[in-house]
Amino acid sequence: MQQQNILHLSTIAAVLTITTPFTALGDDMIKQMTKPQSTIQFGAGYLSDDNARFGQFSGLRDEGAYGIFNVDILRRNDDSGTWFKIIGRNLGLQNREIRLEHSKQGNWGYSVEFNQTPRYEPFPAITAVEGIGSAQLEVPTIPTTGNPTQLKTERESINVGINKLLPGNFELNLHFRNEEKDGARIFGRGNRLGAPSPTAVGGFEFTPEPINFTTRQFGATLDYTGKDLQVTGGYHGSIFLNKNSALHITGGSDVGGIYAPNNFSPIALPSDNQAHQAFLSGGYSFTPTTRGILKASYTRATQSDSFFPTQFATPGIGSNLGGQVDTALVQSSLSARPLPKLSLLANARFEDRNDNTPVFFYNPIALEPDLNGNRWSGLNQPRSFRTWNSKFEGSYALPMNFRFISGIDYEHWDRTGSPATTGHRSTTDEISYRAELRRTLAETVTGTISYIHSDRFGSHFLTNRTATGDPFFNFIAPINLADRKRDKVRLSVNWEPIDPLSVQVMIDESWDNYGHRAGSDLGTQKGSARNYSIDAVYSFSELWQATGWFSRNETFLDQASLTPSPPRHLQERWTVGLDNISTAFGAGLNGRPTEKSILALILSTVISLINLINQLFRMHKPIRYQISISSSPDLDYLLNMLFKKTMGSG
Amino acid sequence: MSRQIKKGLLHRLPMLVLTLALGMSPNSEAKNASEDTDGQSERGIVLRKDRECTDCHDETSEYPILAIGKTKHGTTIDSRTPSSCKSCHGESNDHLEGETTMPMPSITFGKNSKNPIDERNQICLNCHQGGKRMHWLSSTHANRDTACTACHQIHAAQDKVRDRVAQAEVCFVCHKEQRAQINRPSRHPIREGKVVCSDCHNPHGSAGPSKMVRDSVNETCFSCHMEKRGPFIYNHPPVQENCAICHNPHGTTAPNLLKVRSPFLCEQCHEPNSHQSSPATLTGYYRRNTLARGCMNCHTQIHGSNNPENIRNEEVFQR
Repeated sequence: MQQQNILHLSTIAAVLTITTPFTALGDDMIKQMTKPQSTIQFGAGYLSDDNARFGQFSGLRDEGAYGIFNVDILRRNDDSGTWFKIIGRNLGLQNREIRLEHSKQGNWGYSVEFNQTPRYEPFPAITAVEGIGSAQLEVPTIPTTGNPTQLKTERESINVGINKLLPGNFELNLHFRNEEKDGARIFGRGNRLGAPSPTAVGGFEFTPEPINFTTRQFGATLDYTGKDLQVTGGYHGSIFLNKNSALHITGGSDVGGIYAPNNFSPIALPSDNQAHQAFLSGGYSFTPTTRGILKASYTRATQSDSFFPTQFATPGIGSNLGGQVDTALVQSSLSARPLPKLSLLANARFEDRNDNTPVFFYNPIALEPDLNGNRWSGLNQPRSFRTWNSKFEGSYALPMNFRFISGIDYEHWDRTGSPATTGHRSTTDEISYRAELRRTLAETVTGTISYIHSDRFGSHFLTNRTATGDPFFNFIAPINLADRKRDKVRLSVNWEPIDPLSVQVMIDESWDNYGHRAGSDLGTQKGSARNYSIDAVYSFSELWQATGWFSRNETFLDQASLTPSPPRHLQERWTVGLDNISTAFGAGLNGRPTEKSILALILSTVISLINLINQLFRMHKPIRYQISISSSPDLDYLLNMLFKKTMGSG
Repeated sequence: MSRQIKKGLLHRLPMLVLTLALGMSPNSEAKNASEDTDGQSERGIVLRKDRECTDCHDETSEYPILAIGKTKHGTTIDSRTPSSCKSCHGESNDHLEGETTMPMPSITFGKNSKNPIDERNQICLNCHQGGKRMHWLSSTHANRDTACTACHQIHAAQDKVRDRVAQAEVCFVCHKEQRAQINRPSRHPIREGKVVCSDCHNPHGSAGPSKMVRDSVNETCFSCHMEKRGPFIYNHPPVQENCAICHNPHGTTAPNLLKVRSPFLCEQCHEPNSHQSSPATLTGYYRRNTLARGCMNCHTQIHGSNNPENIRNEEVFQR
């Protein structure tokens, strides 16, 4: 099997070595130990090799040296209780952030924060497409040699917060956040079908999506905090603005006639939208051991971004969608301890998401037969749903510091909508039974063993139909709607055999068994997941600790379907076993070499197997689809990190 | 001399050295300290009335405590802050008066504490029950014996779990599966501290599932990915129900945090009509479903489209 390490071993030693007292602290040692201190940390690091993944969110991608500094300026006036803070992180890097806070504790406060986060695509694109980053792309009409292009996006946000304590145990909080996200990301256009035959390989074209997003969030909360009663009410608003409503592309391939890629322009980009929520939440302690909580909220989300001109626009659809989704939520819970050893918890939640978007006939050519002879409705399909969640749990204290916990969880979904190309059922229900035995407050061995069984079921699957009323396959029960039985066991042990040594072991394993549509055994079949983890901590002294850990995740899922038509009568069954495996381990040393400084050495390794080729080989399918080994893109992902930092405060 | 007395002397020694170094004795400071109205104690070092404790406990003792003075708890002008160590640790008379033995204080919060976790947490809830902690008692954490001090460091100058870069390490003490997932190739920038656990989860409980900070999984995701909110002319039903049907936000081996690679992911719902059910291949017709972005090579508008014009089938999400 050919292996390609996407990431080579790379290390960065971010050595924060110079710690300087920011202010002259005087000689008072008590002040040093009891009053906020300011620090500036300078550091330098070296990236030993180009590493796209490592620097995906920091910009540390290319081999070379990097500088960095952090700043913590903390001042407190003890006479007035006034704080002044400036906290800066990664100030030499692209993921820099800086925050200013000024407050009089117990009275008022405000903060302003700037935050920057890049995101690089791990791999450069070799492309001759021009205009990348804009909404006007030019694609060559024939295959053309391109140049390496690095796609990236970057978020820059400003956060402002204000709080004020008011008489009568009230507190007012205001918040505002503006984020600009700019750049370009992977996107494309294409079609599966083209001349001369319906089974010809489709043409795809690389058409990066321009990102020029603005998101704003703002709101206010008024809190009341009393001894027994606490109440929070407020408003939360959010607005999304996209400077580009459509991607316009010139050029491109005309192979395929009316299905050719060059017909796919303009392409819709994410539409402006907004949501506004009012909420009220309260908790009341009826007795020292009995407490109730209630939350209610109402949200209206709208989308009325103007349509851009299109070739086929049905008269009467208006200038925008007029989308409106109203969501009401009520959640309540009651916790009580009727007996010293018995605790009870009941929880109920109801959410009603109502899509009130008007329905129109948008697509004038939907009623014409497609290449498979099917016709479609051309209507938009707003879908609404209601969900009920409830939980009841009891907990009883047993001798020797054991506690037994048992509970029942119930979830119900009620959906509108009618199926067309995929399966749909109006209601699903899932009920879970839990039992758990815990041991806490013991000196040597504590831990938990738990078992959960859940069963999902629902109403009958509605018949998938085309616009002409013809049934459309009806073989697959979608994974989120299918009947499912799940069993899960979990074991957690904390063991302290000797005073300085602590060992933690966690194991959990679950098994899923999916149901199918009547008369079919296709779709998801069985799944399982395993997680193993062991951690150890050894304390050499109060000042020095060594840690080590190992984790492994494994998930498996079997699914089945039929090979494509045409010719439809030759459809044959295929199955595949999907796995997803990660192994990670690490070691660390933490300590205080001097009174003022902290040293942390951390080494971690992560191996993730994107075992696509294994999955492909494990497919049981007709011979005509078998694959050759010559170009197998087996993908392993290996990440090693060695991180050393020293920190201190003056 | 008993072991306890030796220990007591050892605890007091650093403070004695410190006070001598500063050219003053505890008594000399007491002369300048104002008497409290109850006349029971003098002004403390970090709290208003802590001298009974700080005579022994300093930064070199087995249980260093002075750094609490650097925190909001140590801002003594704020009348809401603890007036003395006893505010949280109880009267602790046996601990204070013990001569041959030194019992634990009335309430302790460390790993060897004998106090029930409910009792310990109630000390914190006496002041911190409102606002974002409103739902604590109905949360899974509260009902699985999670002590506030299992996550929070009260006496440290910087509470680790409230530091964006360090927070995840605290959560991973219990959540091992997520520790491995955040290091997978497709992930959020959690390692960099740009997205942290508490951006999405309220560990003190919430009205949403999995302690989501907003009322649902999707509302939480929309905080940063608002372009997916819609509603659109052509909606993709699972997108509206729950982002986690297709994505694992903690990290995956498939791109874009997808739980399973395309086309297998899409085939978990879509019927075996023509290419929608093709086996994944590396050559031939159906490599288009496997390579690059898989099905999303063509169906780029997978979260929904606001284009009135989609060719023939309103669910193709192609333009």
